[in-house]
Amino acid sequence: MGDTPRRLLQRLIRRIPAQELKPTLEKWGRLSQAQLQTIDFTQSKWALTGKLGTICEERNWAVKHITELELIYVIDNPNLGMWHTFQLMDPRDNAHTVELLQFKEQFKSNLSELIRNVSVKIKKHTDEAVWIRIAWGDGLSQPNHFKPTYVVHYLQTPYVFVTSLNSKQKPLLSQALVLATSYHAIKDANLSGRKFTAIRDLLMRQYEQVFPRKFHSPLKERNQIVTDPHIEREQAESSANRLQMACEAFGGGKLPQLQSAVYKLETKFRGHNKSMTQREEPIRCVVKFASTNILESLRNCASSGIASTPVTPLLSSIPLKGRNYFVITDNGPGPSQTRQQN
Amino acid sequence: MEQKQTSVVKTPRNSDGAQRSSYRQSYRSYVGAVSRLGLTSALTARRLNTSRRAPRAHNITDKVSPEHLAVLVKKEWQLSYVTPLFQFRHTQLKRYSQQLSAFIAAERQGVAVEVEEPQHSFKASFSVVHGMAEAEEDAETILIQVHSKHHFSRRDDPEKCVWSGWLACINGSPEYIRSLPKDFICLPLFGSSGGDPLTSSVKSWFQQTFDCCFGSLEINHTSLQWLGSLWTNCQPESNIQHLKMIWAVPVVPPLQITYTVNPQDAWELWTCVRKDAQVEKEGEEEEEEEEEGIIDIEEVNMFMQELKSHFYRHFKLDLSAGNLVQVSTALGSAKTSGRIKISNSRYMISTLTLLTECALLKMPV
Repeated sequence: MGDTPRRLLQRLIRRIPAQELKPTLEKWGRLSQAQLQTIDFTQSKWALTGKLGTICEERNWAVKHITELELIYVIDNPNLGMWHTFQLMDPRDNAHTVELLQFKEQFKSNLSELIRNVSVKIKKHTDEAVWIRIAWGDGLSQPNHFKPTYVVHYLQTPYVFVTSLNSKQKPLLSQALVLATSYHAIKDANLSGRKFTAIRDLLMRQYEQVFPRKFHSPLKERNQIVTDPHIEREQAESSANRLQMACEAFGGGKLPQLQSAVYKLETKFRGHNKSMTQREEPIRCVVKFASTNILESLRNCASSGIASTPVTPLLSSIPLKGRNYFVITDNGPGPSQTRQQN
Repeated sequence: MEQKQTSVVKTPRNSDGAQRSSYRQSYRSYVGAVSRLGLTSALTARRLNTSRRAPRAHNITDKVSPEHLAVLVKKEWQLSYVTPLFQFRHTQLKRYSQQLSAFIAAERQGVAVEVEEPQHSFKASFSVVHGMAEAEEDAETILIQVHSKHHFSRRDDPEKCVWSGWLACINGSPEYIRSLPKDFICLPLFGSSGGDPLTSSVKSWFQQTFDCCFGSLEINHTSLQWLGSLWTNCQPESNIQHLKMIWAVPVVPPLQITYTVNPQDAWELWTCVRKDAQVEKEGEEEEEEEEEGIIDIEEVNMFMQELKSHFYRHFKLDLSAGNLVQVSTALGSAKTSGRIKISNSRYMISTLTLLTECALLKMPV
């Protein structure tokens, strides 16, 4: 077995946590049950690497088999770093009927035309997601399998999620994607985060949402604490209203774990100082919200009254538009009108 | 004997003059009266200064040696307050260095160690930083460094500085310093940078040797607002690059809001706020005072309030519901946990003046 596959295997085994190793290998499917039985998974990782290395040598496996295993592991554990989202624009006529095989062939051939020495692996996951692993080389060197780019595309949607892509590789990937999916262009969707499932759920609205109903009845608290019926909460109605509006803006139950949102503000001064408000130029500032789950934090702000309800469109745009990077100017989306709070 | 509480902001003794000058007069006469009666603990009636001199760029490189500056600037220090030191002599620094080295060695080994032994793996050195003291009563700043020599390194290998700290008193309240009994030196501000075990060893040694007390100095939000405003005030002379403020909002899970304002815009807002405040004051008083360089707390509060209003109009989120935990600019950064970093030596004195005041106020004396 060559040096690269050996090193790749070593790195991969080190990366996969001990308890995940057996299920991942089973999913891979290249080792028979009998062979899996012979491997003692309680050994140290070093010993396991050796054992698997010998099996790979016997079967004469190369880099592409190891990368297959890596892709399987990554699909289940996609938190590799920052994921960025892109959106495909201007579909051509047949964009909605692109199906898997066609996409695979086109993408591989396009990318290989654009750059020599690139290694592409595509796998379709059960939930309609197409996972692509790209190892980049260039005219002179072999593909670098130690710094692959991962791309996830949901067919029939215009969304693409990418991680570990540098600026030189970006135009090549964009070109290949646009051609393979029959769109005209691709642009930055202004949504990024570390948890892949969170940004995917946010963008594709796969979480519990609360739709505003015409005849309001305030949401009931989930865990109603049974108290003395004679005790009346003074602000029960207003706090229930706040909770309702907070949930309408952000969602009802468990929210995707988005970790930050950045707003670049370039708007006229909105304070009280007269000379500043008369100033023509905008005030430039950057506001960043950060938390382990900002959607939950913001929902909590709204329901506890720290943020006034109804929730301002700046904040509710995060789940509504599925973005977490905004540039707000006076002309664009923004609080150009004041809302009177009651 | 009843302690009279003067509210130093509100009731000016004299009917004319600005609030500030009457503050000083009333304070002085108050302390004068009390100290005649021999009570020095009247300082509990002090409040944080409601007005400060605007920071001037000090050409501190003229006064302080560059090596000392290099140690002090651009490092993040953890602050503590120190009660006055008994019989600390600036002339005994060499002896203190040896004693501290022995103390650290003893703490590590758990046995008694000879003081004069030159083979300690940790070597402490005390030095005086000349040129930082501003007022007459200020004691000179002391710098303490602990170098470590690895067992296996050769004789001429450079020693690595593993811990540094300093004791300072910059523009400390002169009445307080004068009121201290003889033999006590006031160096209320202590900054340390390095591992916790060494920090606690150094503090223990000081406590044993000079009968003093250390306590953590948190920087409250008023002081943070002061620092933010004072730094913004320096914008025309040195670019602060940004005014960054971090709030922690108490929701579940905790939310952190970082609000960064463009320096030019922050400066313009600051000047507008000051102009309005001056106009208001001129309307109230008959005499005009020529105190250009004085900044009042109302201006600071107004400045922060305007920034918060601008934020509120966009996000409908009231920042006052959270805690201001950090303020930083290119000139330095301050966190509410008591960590401070001074990035530009030109404004070091002003920053340390404010912090000395905080330390003096926090001291339980």
